[in-house]
Amino acid sequence: MATTTQGASGPPPKPWERSGSSSGPAPFRPPSAGTTSDVVEASGTAKPGEIVSTSDRNNTVNTNAVGRPLPTRPWENNIGNSSYGGYNSGMTYNSGYGSGMYNSIGGGYGGMSGGMYGSSMYRGGIGGGIGGGYGGGLYGSGMYGGGGMYNSGLGGSMGGYGTGMGMGMGGPFGPQDPNNPPPSPPGFWISFLRVMEGVVNFFGRISLLVDQNTQAVHFFMSALLQLFDRGGMLYGELARFVFRILGLRRKSNKIGPAGPNGLPLPGPDMQNDQRLLEGPKSAPAGAWDNVWGNDARR
Amino acid sequence: MPVFKTPFNGYSVKFSPFYEHRLAVATSQNFGILGNGRLHILDLSPTPSPTPISELTFFDTADGIYDVAWSESHDNLLVAAVADGSLKLYDLSLPPQQNPSRSLPEHTREVHSVDWNPTRRDSFISGSWDDTIKLWTVDRPTSVRTFKEHAYCVYSVAWNPRHADVFASASGDCTVRVWDVREPGSTMIIPGHEHEILSCDWNKYDECLLATGSVDKTVRVWDVRSYRTPIAVLAGHGYAVRKVKCSPHHRNMVMSCSYDMTVCMWDFMVEDALIGKYDQHTEFAVGIDMSVLVEGLLASTGWDEMVYVWQHGTDPRAT
Repeated sequence: MATTTQGASGPPPKPWERSGSSSGPAPFRPPSAGTTSDVVEASGTAKPGEIVSTSDRNNTVNTNAVGRPLPTRPWENNIGNSSYGGYNSGMTYNSGYGSGMYNSIGGGYGGMSGGMYGSSMYRGGIGGGIGGGYGGGLYGSGMYGGGGMYNSGLGGSMGGYGTGMGMGMGGPFGPQDPNNPPPSPPGFWISFLRVMEGVVNFFGRISLLVDQNTQAVHFFMSALLQLFDRGGMLYGELARFVFRILGLRRKSNKIGPAGPNGLPLPGPDMQNDQRLLEGPKSAPAGAWDNVWGNDARR
Repeated sequence: MPVFKTPFNGYSVKFSPFYEHRLAVATSQNFGILGNGRLHILDLSPTPSPTPISELTFFDTADGIYDVAWSESHDNLLVAAVADGSLKLYDLSLPPQQNPSRSLPEHTREVHSVDWNPTRRDSFISGSWDDTIKLWTVDRPTSVRTFKEHAYCVYSVAWNPRHADVFASASGDCTVRVWDVREPGSTMIIPGHEHEILSCDWNKYDECLLATGSVDKTVRVWDVRSYRTPIAVLAGHGYAVRKVKCSPHHRNMVMSCSYDMTVCMWDFMVEDALIGKYDQHTEFAVGIDMSVLVEGLLASTGWDEMVYVWQHGTDPRAT
């Protein structure tokens, strides 16, 4: 790849580093010396559990040409330049990122399997950084997210498991495996269809709920109407019973209400108008004036 | 000047602090709403040539990339802020199949900003839409600290270039907060704008000056010693200011880009503050950077999928 020689000494000086600050005293506490991890730990502001052992950090911090400690770069291989060629950088993560005791212990074996399964070593290094040591917790919480089968019982013989992890890495580590980047991320249409699936599912659920609610309201209303209906019938039945007990009889009112002079009023029911249907009536003097009753002369 | 067409919508562009000809571009498919992301590493050719800008390599991700930051400690390492809530470290010296060399999934929502500590050089911070800021170091697989105080998305984080422990964060809760990694809480809360604050950056020559860009279309410059009123209010953008950047070469120069598709240069100490306006983008301009190594070399990217690199004062579209 590209030239990598410049990195060891840090970037070129920034333009502003050549000039002093032009304003007055700043409202900040003066900067602390040391690495960020040390500074944060010294201040005691980190959450519990976020601190790793710093006892052997010096193993991983190399001094460079500048004479000040810099974080280890992946190509600064303190395991040694082995003959694994292109996989070298893969295994150097073991030393670069895994701080703590794991390095000194696991370095040798790391080199072995690192050459063969470059990525597995990196994971070992991370585990070391988290566990801060070797043993039960080593492959534990760090890499595998605290869960799963690698969490326990793996600490026994590190070398063997390191290799095993390397071989199995394609599968069980899932999408979060940093060394298995998505080889071909889903294309636009796949993503789009996934989103459309979600949208359709959403509207499907919505319409189902609307349907169920409509149905519920319908049942409620019909039940209410039925209640009124039956309630009315019950009331009528009870009322009839009470009236009978009281000896009252409702007046049968088969004929329509009487009009003036006792004549039944013509109405929509044709039985009162039978005479019209039976035949022509002799026209009285006033012609048809009295057909509808209430003859003015009577 | 060099123009590069990316397949996805640009989100962020950063010059390498090691090589004056190298820059990284973070892009996201479909405007970052849905789809994949791609991280481009571009090289400018030092001499005039048919291809003034060439792609060194690129990395695909399954989610959009919103921001990228070069490591200050070594020249091949860079960290990308990914929409799935993870930060991914890329090492250009590794073969492509080993990249990303590390994935740090801790944020629960999209990571919107990442910044590498330029003074101590072993750590970086990330601001996310889950309202938190996380501090990371390269020697740890988990975050060192989580800063949770903002009430809404954190849109931007920036280290103080003159103080190894101090950084600022801009959030959608309309405040800018100044933090010290040694303090449990924020040391300063600046209610800077009436609307969401999308970006913040420290002045490189005065450790007390802070520039912010907001949805209220203004860029404001603050002095953290007296942050009741801003030192300068730079109005001129037609829509929300998406990113602000303080010049690494001139104390008073600020660069900003906006949803009005322009990139503006300001001098906040003079009356007529707007000293340059570039309208090369045909869509929202969302990513800008100024080269630390070459004075006046600017870069911008936007949702029109273009990356422009040009010298201040020249036309970005001129070939």
